[in-house]
Amino acid sequence: MATNVGNQRIIPLEEGWNDEIKAKAIDKLEALLNGEMKSGSMFGPKEYVQIYTTCYDMCTQRSPYNWSRELYQRHGETIEKYLTTTVLPALRDKTGQGGTILLTELRHRWLNHQIMNKWLKKFFTYLDRYYVKHHSLPTLSQAGLRCFRTKVYDEMKGETTNAILGLINDEREGKIIDKSLIKSVVELFESMGMGSLDAYNSDLEEALLNSTREYYAKKREDWINDSTPDYLIKAEEALAKESKRVDDYLNSASETKILKVVEEEILERVEMVLLEKESSGCRALLQNDKSEDLQRMFRLFSRLENGLNPMAAIFQNFISSMGDDIVNRRQARLEGGEKDKNDDPKFVKSLISLHEKYLGVVKQDFTGHSLFQKALKDAFVEIVNKNVGQFTNAELMSTFCDRILKSGGEKLSESEVEESLDRIVQLFSYLTDKDMFAEIYRNQLAKRLLTQRSTSDDSEKLMIAKLKMQCGTQFTSKMEGMLSDLAVGSEQRSEFENRMRSVDSKLDFSVQVLTTGFWPTYKSPEVALTPEMSKCMDIFKDWHEQKHQKRKLTWVLSQGNASVRGVFGKKSYDFQVSTLQAIALDAMNNGVTMTFQELATKLNAEESILKPLMHSLSCGKYKVLIKTPPGNKINPTDTFTANPKFTSNMRKLRIPMATLESSLNTKRVEEDRTIAIEAAIVRIMKARKTLQHQQLLSEVLNQLAFFNPNPRDIKKRIEGLIDREYLERSADNAQVYNYLA
Amino acid sequence: MWTSSGGSSASSKTAKRKSSSTAGSAFNEKAAEKMFEEFAEEDDPTVMGMDGIIKLCEHVDLDPFEDKRVLVLLWKLGSKEKPSQITKEEFLTGCYNLHVDTIGKFQSLIPSLDTGFLDEMEFKDFYKFCFQFNRQGTHRTLDKELVVALMKMVLTGRIPDDRLESFCTFVETQEAYTRITLDQWTSFLDFCFAVPDLSQYDESSSAWPVLIDEYVEYMEELQKKK
Repeated sequence: MATNVGNQRIIPLEEGWNDEIKAKAIDKLEALLNGEMKSGSMFGPKEYVQIYTTCYDMCTQRSPYNWSRELYQRHGETIEKYLTTTVLPALRDKTGQGGTILLTELRHRWLNHQIMNKWLKKFFTYLDRYYVKHHSLPTLSQAGLRCFRTKVYDEMKGETTNAILGLINDEREGKIIDKSLIKSVVELFESMGMGSLDAYNSDLEEALLNSTREYYAKKREDWINDSTPDYLIKAEEALAKESKRVDDYLNSASETKILKVVEEEILERVEMVLLEKESSGCRALLQNDKSEDLQRMFRLFSRLENGLNPMAAIFQNFISSMGDDIVNRRQARLEGGEKDKNDDPKFVKSLISLHEKYLGVVKQDFTGHSLFQKALKDAFVEIVNKNVGQFTNAELMSTFCDRILKSGGEKLSESEVEESLDRIVQLFSYLTDKDMFAEIYRNQLAKRLLTQRSTSDDSEKLMIAKLKMQCGTQFTSKMEGMLSDLAVGSEQRSEFENRMRSVDSKLDFSVQVLTTGFWPTYKSPEVALTPEMSKCMDIFKDWHEQKHQKRKLTWVLSQGNASVRGVFGKKSYDFQVSTLQAIALDAMNNGVTMTFQELATKLNAEESILKPLMHSLSCGKYKVLIKTPPGNKINPTDTFTANPKFTSNMRKLRIPMATLESSLNTKRVEEDRTIAIEAAIVRIMKARKTLQHQQLLSEVLNQLAFFNPNPRDIKKRIEGLIDREYLERSADNAQVYNYLA
Repeated sequence: MWTSSGGSSASSKTAKRKSSSTAGSAFNEKAAEKMFEEFAEEDDPTVMGMDGIIKLCEHVDLDPFEDKRVLVLLWKLGSKEKPSQITKEEFLTGCYNLHVDTIGKFQSLIPSLDTGFLDEMEFKDFYKFCFQFNRQGTHRTLDKELVVALMKMVLTGRIPDDRLESFCTFVETQEAYTRITLDQWTSFLDFCFAVPDLSQYDESSSAWPVLIDEYVEYMEELQKKK
């Protein structure tokens, strides 16, 4: 025998192997695993060190006694032998007896293998350190695992998977199963990937996805005859359970895949069927305010890509048809004989309610999702622009505001006013012809302001502020101008009052100066004034001249008002009348009788003005004058005189007069539109120099926020500009325009 | 042949016409001038108005009201400044360019005035001239009846007969436009070349004047009635 350095004995291979390693380590280990020994009597430290040292020595002996290669080989062979002779038969024995039995055995053998692998590695560690590295071989653990994989796993995996799938389906059907057992076996699959999930994916997950798909396809058939809400409840439950399953015993990477399969089978494939069910589909749920069901429907379909689009479409259609109902009801009322006025609060309130209700649904049931917001908006844009009768919805809405803002209209608290205005502005935002609304609103505002019938200055400002927020400063500049004229006027009023008093204390006279352009254009009839009135006007003219030399004043007598003291015998009354009425009454003073013609001459008033004027004083509620012959129509042949028998319980009376002009000027809006279109075209072409027709059209439409012209109208403006040589058609391409500087 | 008199602006322009004479056919400016004077306006010898033009036509055997070659002639001569006339300047330059200085040469020029000789670009220019020339005074548009007559005279043979016919009928019968602008006039011809088949017309993407959109609509209505 040769000796080592240091006098140590050389261990021969078979001796070392058989006497030491096999006997003391491997056999014992196998016995332990086979349950032939008491567990708990694993290798103690002394034992372990001895075995380890033997291996160490055998691997560090000088060549030709270095047994590294042999030991490495025998390590593999040992494992292989054990698996083939002991483990496999045991497993084969358990097949065909039900999933649980097989899985239990597999788990047992797998755990055993891990123990074996661990100990063998510990014993042969020295190999890992040098031999394995030196020869680029699999480590001991890897080698062990691979062995398990090729000898045991590959053969058993098919049945194992089936066993697992069977148990999963049992659990789906409500049976109790051993989750931890499956979890352990799943870990086996995971480990067999050796660092990746490949084994798990291809040997277990793929089959699981397929069986899941099959299972839910069948469930879908079972459930599909349920009502939609019931179906969805089941669907939601199923998804929750599958999620939990993954948590309980599968690899987390499977969650999204499994859920996707389930979603496809029970939601995606039948989405339209579910949504469109006659009495329980989306439309029915909306109709019956089934908030909870709608929420669930939303939750479930938002899982699908584009799953919400069909729902939003149904939502939009539903609202449109509700809106149509409201419009049709209005139409029916008009056709049934109701008078077609510019005031229909029932209609406007219905629209507001509809909007409020479904705005709420969007927020609550659909979490304010943008698709549904858009659906609501699109539906309302359609509804709000459906005009019925001779008055547009723009006008109806404006009149609705007028009701709220004028004194004697709706009786509302301050917060109710704000809420109403807020809601009407929301409806307004859907109008295409916003400029028309602005024009009407302006006219009504002017009337409120000039007749002092506005409930509150603050409310007026509030509404204008809301419109400004929606549409920008330019939209409300005239309205704000009107308010500021009044503010300036009231400041100057006291100054002028002092002036008046200093000149003639008997005259009580004030003037409101309006800036042209802010206010609607009013006719300024040149009616002959009473001498007192003329005097007042002159005083004001002088005073005003001093303050503002450059301003030109035009008197709008049709909008003024006056208070006239009428003495009838012993009784006297204060009449609140317009300036024109005051002049007429003055002419009728002292009981004179005058013919219509005489009055026309004296007052220098046209027939179109004098007729409604005299009507208000002789044919209205308060017949201050007597008309001969009596009747409700003013004829140029009538005569008038003061009514000596006039009497009333009240001391102060307002005698209204019909307005002299239609307040709405559609023509003005049309003109403004023409100008706006042309300005937009010029602005765009100036910036771009050259532009193709389609692009010019779309840019113009983008720039015009307050109305929607049709392409022909825009084209007509373009032609006009070509004619006036602002633009030309390109010589190379008739579809392209050039800007002419 | 002629001497330039110093100082006047006329002569600086005439200086251009100093011909690089081709053998045997130098331009006789004096003769051309004399021709012009025969047809010039009584109260303004620098201008030949409609009267003079008519007279010129009689001399060369052209019908000034029916024969479009009159327009071609005026176009080629270079009338630009004002409608229904030609200035002396324009006339003389035109004569020079066309190598005509006598009535006889005008007469022999006539066959070449056929519009068949013009290519597409030239014809478009001529066609535009026809509109411009026929304006009255400072008006920028033409009466629709005049437009119809003019189109028939000038476009026959150049565009398909049925297109010309139907468009003229349309212009006559529609009531939205009593006068036609230059843009509408020139666009019509371009439209005929670009859209020979009305079924291919797409209003939503077309930059053609609204008159043409309405014409296509009119034609579609006629089709439906058949």
